Amino acid sequence: MSKKQGKVALSILLAGSLFAAVGCSSQSSGTDAGTGNNSAPKTGGTLSISLDADPPKLDPAFSTALVDRMVFQSIYDKLVDVNENGEVVPMLAEKWDVSPDQKSYTFTLREGVKFHDGTDFNAEAVKFSLERGMDKASNRKNELNDIEKITVADAKTIKIDLKQPFAPFLSILSDRAGMIVSPEAVKKYGDEFLNHPVGTGPFVYKERQKGSSITLEKNPNYWQKGLPYLDSVTYKIMNDANVALMNLKSGQVDITNKFPYKEIENVKNDPKISVVNEPGQGYQGIHLNTSKAPFDNKELRRAVDLMIDRDAIVKVVLSGAGSAAHSPFSKSQFAYGDSDKVEQPNVEKAKELLKKAGKENGFSFTLKLGTSPTNQQVGQMIQNMLKPAGITVNLEKVEFGTMLEQSKTGNFEAVSLGWSGRPDPDQNIYDFATKGGSNNYAQYYNPEVDRVLKEARQEGDQAKRKAGYDAAMKILNDETPYVYLYHDHNVFGVSKSVQGFTYYPDGLIRTASISKN
Amino acid sequence: MRFLVRRLLLAVPVILLVTIMVFSLLHLLPGDPATVILGQEATPEAIDAMREELGLNQPIVMQYLKWLGGVLQGDLGRSLVDHSPVSELIWQRLPATLELTIGTFVVALLIAIPAGILSATRPNSWIDYTSTFFALGGMSVPHFWLGMMFIVFFAVKLGWLPASGYVPFTENPLANITAMIMPVLATGLRESAILMRMLRSSLLEVMHADYIRTAYAKGHKESFVIFRHALKNALVPVVTTSGLIVAGLLGGLVITESIFSIPGFGKLIVESIYNRDFVTVQGAILVCALMVVMVNLLVDILYAVIDPRIKVGKEAEQ
Repeated sequence: MSKKQGKVALSILLAGSLFAAVGCSSQSSGTDAGTGNNSAPKTGGTLSISLDADPPKLDPAFSTALVDRMVFQSIYDKLVDVNENGEVVPMLAEKWDVSPDQKSYTFTLREGVKFHDGTDFNAEAVKFSLERGMDKASNRKNELNDIEKITVADAKTIKIDLKQPFAPFLSILSDRAGMIVSPEAVKKYGDEFLNHPVGTGPFVYKERQKGSSITLEKNPNYWQKGLPYLDSVTYKIMNDANVALMNLKSGQVDITNKFPYKEIENVKNDPKISVVNEPGQGYQGIHLNTSKAPFDNKELRRAVDLMIDRDAIVKVVLSGAGSAAHSPFSKSQFAYGDSDKVEQPNVEKAKELLKKAGKENGFSFTLKLGTSPTNQQVGQMIQNMLKPAGITVNLEKVEFGTMLEQSKTGNFEAVSLGWSGRPDPDQNIYDFATKGGSNNYAQYYNPEVDRVLKEARQEGDQAKRKAGYDAAMKILNDETPYVYLYHDHNVFGVSKSVQGFTYYPDGLIRTASISKN
Repeated sequence: MRFLVRRLLLAVPVILLVTIMVFSLLHLLPGDPATVILGQEATPEAIDAMREELGLNQPIVMQYLKWLGGVLQGDLGRSLVDHSPVSELIWQRLPATLELTIGTFVVALLIAIPAGILSATRPNSWIDYTSTFFALGGMSVPHFWLGMMFIVFFAVKLGWLPASGYVPFTENPLANITAMIMPVLATGLRESAILMRMLRSSLLEVMHADYIRTAYAKGHKESFVIFRHALKNALVPVVTTSGLIVAGLLGGLVITESIFSIPGFGKLIVESIYNRDFVTVQGAILVCALMVVMVNLLVDILYAVIDPRIKVGKEAEQ
């Protein structure tokens, strides 16, 4: 018996020690970080930003990943930038004129700007960078396709002629396509330039440890006087959002570029951390393959669209870090409006549509989706939402690379694939809904949509453009080649010791104006 | 010596076979590398140009032979993603993983050997129960969870250790060690559990052998019997397991590396697979296969050192 008693005692002891450990860990820490008062920005210090992936290519002409653009904001300047409201504002170009026929842009460049390698920024450098982006090997070729000719008038004036009017042009120059690289450095490093990036930005590339960190140092000759405030910026690669949050909590990271949705509520009253949760420019949704059964039938596509409760998805899966969508335009874009209004799920109406399509007893389809937990949860919710209408969804997990290829070759019935978004509405819709568009995986074609969208990209007047997008969305929301689900939010965790963090609708962190207490 | 040469020669076809398998499996993967590298917005022309540049339009056998030719001249090729030499990428990532592997193994041994001996020599005692309890716990608790708990406790609550990150030893030895404590413990505890159970059962078996009774009958002290007679024999299966553990760790620490943001070898392989960076994957797996072969060789040599009845080389051939 005594042996048995010993065992009991031991287990009590162990259980006790476990409780003690848990008890310790739930004690809140007493230290309080400086509260974010709006005192004068402090200079110096190092800012650590966690990124969810290692930026593959630090060269704007060849960049393919969203995460590259995060680091680019510190290394490169662009001809123009976007402000907090998503409007185009001057950057390396002080001002510009657009010809009345909308086909020619003349930029007046800022003087006295130098690249990190000491060479001069001038019109030749702009021409060099743009032409580099227009090269067939470049990933910017598509964006700069409409440029016909680039003429250097003098050192500070450059004229760009377009083949046809192209309204998104300026906003495209506010991203990678408009980033100016040092021609000397490109000549010096060639293919290796992406490992030795040289721009005019507020920070200078110092070193990187692949898979671990990228370190940048202050550009002492930055053209914006007094900026940047920080001595250096370190990007740390942390693949897992929870790990990044732990690092934010322990003070090793000042800003995280991703935030675990479920934790947003939990850190609301945290004295050291604030959460920035703002709509981005992208969207998530499902391409329905209109070239083959079952979704060659418009009624069936509409029925699927009608049965999905977007608000439930946003609430359950995203914990509020998103907003229900019915168009590719989010709040920060001028094309946003009634087209984004979501219809409430309606079983009767959906059943009617099925009947009209001759599928009274329902139908089934396979939905291909990515492997992340968010994708899985969204998929399962949709599966359940479609059930009442008699629609059976088979979920098939597909790794991203495979999914991309299958989407491009039309090897799917429905595929869940979103878009990170761009400032100009054209870039969120044109290639997705027009014939032969590079992202028109649904293989959808409607001559009227093609015509309206083409007009909208050539029109200079914003109100007229918006009317065009409204007209296109009216047709698209009726024909539903793509089921819009929600607009992603950009969620950042920001330490309260960080000052001057401003949210931009492109979701990129501008480090020049950030300081740290 | 002859044994060594023979073993090394035997490794050649093994490694060759590994490279052929990796090469063909990678090319069987759905998802065209050019599409993956260029992403969603790529035009068909850009994809074609990329395929041409990557040599993907050549017959697969040609691609393989070309790669193998490079390897034989010591050139593992260049990464498809960022054009840097693959050997350089591997060289950058290897130290962290080697350090993590060695650290994990040392932690595992430091815990497993005393615990295994104590629980085997005192079966059904409280020491035995306690260590069995922790061993079972260690094996059942996923190490990524344990890693997260360590971070919560030691980094966030107590602030003793950095939550994650890696500093090369050559740059700052102290920062390197503090950064490695948690990852090494998180994986080491798990591996120690396996080793400890292994040692316990094999030692228990040995302790019942006749020669142990004889040794006791000769009047030797317990410690002498255990360390001089029993342990050596009991270690053989432990060494085998150790070899498997170390070989597995070298390429399989990707979860630990992810949680603690360590730029290691496992992460390199996984990232490269996702990016369809075939050249890097091939190079990395080749190096991995080489390391596994070396570890196995080491294990074979250790057998002979521990247990003279197991002979290698000339005598074994007789």
